[in-house]
Amino acid sequence: MTIALERPAEGGNKTRTPVKPVRFRRVLLSETTKFRTIRSTWICLALGLVLLGLFGSIGAFTYDGAGVTDGPPGISGRPLDAVSLALMGLSFASLVVGVFGVLSTAGEYSTGTIRSTLAAVPKRLPVLWAKAILAGGAVFAISAVGVFAAFLIGSVGLDGEAISLSFTDDGVLRALFGAALYLGLVAVFGVALGALLRSPAGGIAALVSILLILPGLAMLLPDSWYDALNPYFPSNAGGAVYALTETSDRLSPGAGIAVFAGWVAVTLAAAAFRLKKTDV
Amino acid sequence: MIEARELTKRYGDKTVVDRLSFTVKPGEVTGFLGPNGAGKSTTMRMVLGLDAPTAGTVTVNGRAYAGHGAPLHEIGALLEAKSVHPGRSAVGHLTALAQTHGIARKRVDEVIELAGLGSVAHKRVGAFSLGMGQRLGIAAALLGDPEVVMLDEPVNGLDPEGVLWIRNLLADLAAEGRAVLLSSHLMSETAQIADHLVIIGRGRLLADTTVADFVRESGAGAVKVASDEAAKLQALLAGPDVAVTASNETELLVSGLDARAIGQVALRHGVPLHELTPLGASLEEAFMDLTTDELEYRSAPADGRSAR
Ligand SMILES: Nc1ncnc2c1ncn2[C@@H]1O[C@H](COP(=O)(O)OP(=O)(O)OP(=O)(O)O)[C@@H](O)[C@H]1O
Ligand SMILES: [Mg+2]
Repeated sequence: MTIALERPAEGGNKTRTPVKPVRFRRVLLSETTKFRTIRSTWICLALGLVLLGLFGSIGAFTYDGAGVTDGPPGISGRPLDAVSLALMGLSFASLVVGVFGVLSTAGEYSTGTIRSTLAAVPKRLPVLWAKAILAGGAVFAISAVGVFAAFLIGSVGLDGEAISLSFTDDGVLRALFGAALYLGLVAVFGVALGALLRSPAGGIAALVSILLILPGLAMLLPDSWYDALNPYFPSNAGGAVYALTETSDRLSPGAGIAVFAGWVAVTLAAAAFRLKKTDV
Repeated sequence: MIEARELTKRYGDKTVVDRLSFTVKPGEVTGFLGPNGAGKSTTMRMVLGLDAPTAGTVTVNGRAYAGHGAPLHEIGALLEAKSVHPGRSAVGHLTALAQTHGIARKRVDEVIELAGLGSVAHKRVGAFSLGMGQRLGIAAALLGDPEVVMLDEPVNGLDPEGVLWIRNLLADLAAEGRAVLLSSHLMSETAQIADHLVIIGRGRLLADTTVADFVRESGAGAVKVASDEAAKLQALLAGPDVAVTASNETELLVSGLDARAIGQVALRHGVPLHELTPLGASLEEAFMDLTTDELEYRSAPADGRSAR
């Protein structure tokens, strides 16, 4: 056993291990290591990428110009365009990246890691911010790659079709980047839900309910309420940013992503409050 | 140094730690004792700021834990509950902790070696045995080279070699001038490691004393001696402060002399011994006497004397 700890009993103040104060950049580095060193990170990110890239490009190749009115599952009823084909994997991918976010925080509670984490960073909040930045950033980057790849590959399949589009067409870049931004925010939403509920199962259930079930449930509302509220539900608001064309039943792309970001911010604030104020 | 002043924690209307005051001084090992549910682990979580006290304060080296810029350099702790992701390796876990404090990677390898985890450093922690998990927790506690070391039942799950390792480690840490706090429910075991004792029951302070005083006051410290010439030895040992009772013709129970003195007498007079055992059992009884009214979870009598 060779140890720096072992030094003369006579209190000779020999080499103590150099230690620096906790700073946000160090917390960020530490959280990066934590993300890197668990398997679920790689599984979720790879799955998200595959879902986006594969579904998006397959849609274009199986596209048959004759069936324009029959939208593929998930986006039925809307006029079909090359961007929505490229985004066919988006709703599945949004669940995967949301779960990724939930696990990054709720997983700390279910495994007890949170005690080590907060003992190292007793100010607590930097941990939440670091996780949100890293999960959001990683998912944004991966999604951008997946979405652009799907669009590019898809445009080969759609070559010559009426709905074919290129990057220079109106709204295409905005919609594709918007999709990546939306997914990045979904990951942050997951981070916030996981920290708020402190349970992977609870966090995932909340994520699915809010993103997928809430808009459907809202149909039970009286028509006038429904029309007024529907555009503001998180997934509908977020959806406005990656739709190629603006319609009257949706917010504008900018307003839509802002509303969704607002939902995420409120949830994150609630998570921060709970993290700061309650025992672990 | 840890200083708790009137520290109190309530969960709902249940008071788990009740106006507890004590000090853990540098250069000595303080044993933190109490029966199950006495509030030891809760107190330790409050030291780290994981649980907020309902009332009172606790400081580490003069400040609240969260007030330190580099807390892992002030105090390193092993908590009772698991606090590692099972999917991560020991290296991954310790590296992430080290990075928050800008601690060099070299130090991570050092504490892994120190804890004897070199061969499993890259294995998933989920596959670790109980004892290996404890060793990893101790490695994490020492990572920041802290002035105070606080361990919640560290010998839990360790094999005899591991127990000995902990004992030597804690003695070394205290000899280096660090403050060591160690919780346990085993009096006899703690008395062998600790210099000072803080005993609690139902969250209240029952005793704050040195081990030597506790042993003296409890009348413990009897020594069992077995010899074929027990009667002869009994006569030789007799003295003003010494009580010797013979349980049969080859065994004596001696109080008032320690094993060393008895051995010397026997050697001087050529009395062969085949057993010389300091008894911890009566220490355990003294501890139980002290805490028996404060038991949180009392077992039903199994042999007619139960919690006596
Ligand atoms: N988060 C909590 N909520 C409610 N009660 C709690 C909580 N944590 C601890 N308790 C209660 O506080 C009491 C003290 O628990 P604690 O774990 O501190 O005891 P302990 O001395 O460490 O016991 P042991 O020797 O069994 O480890 C117990 O009765 C326990 O049920
Ligand atoms: Mg305990």
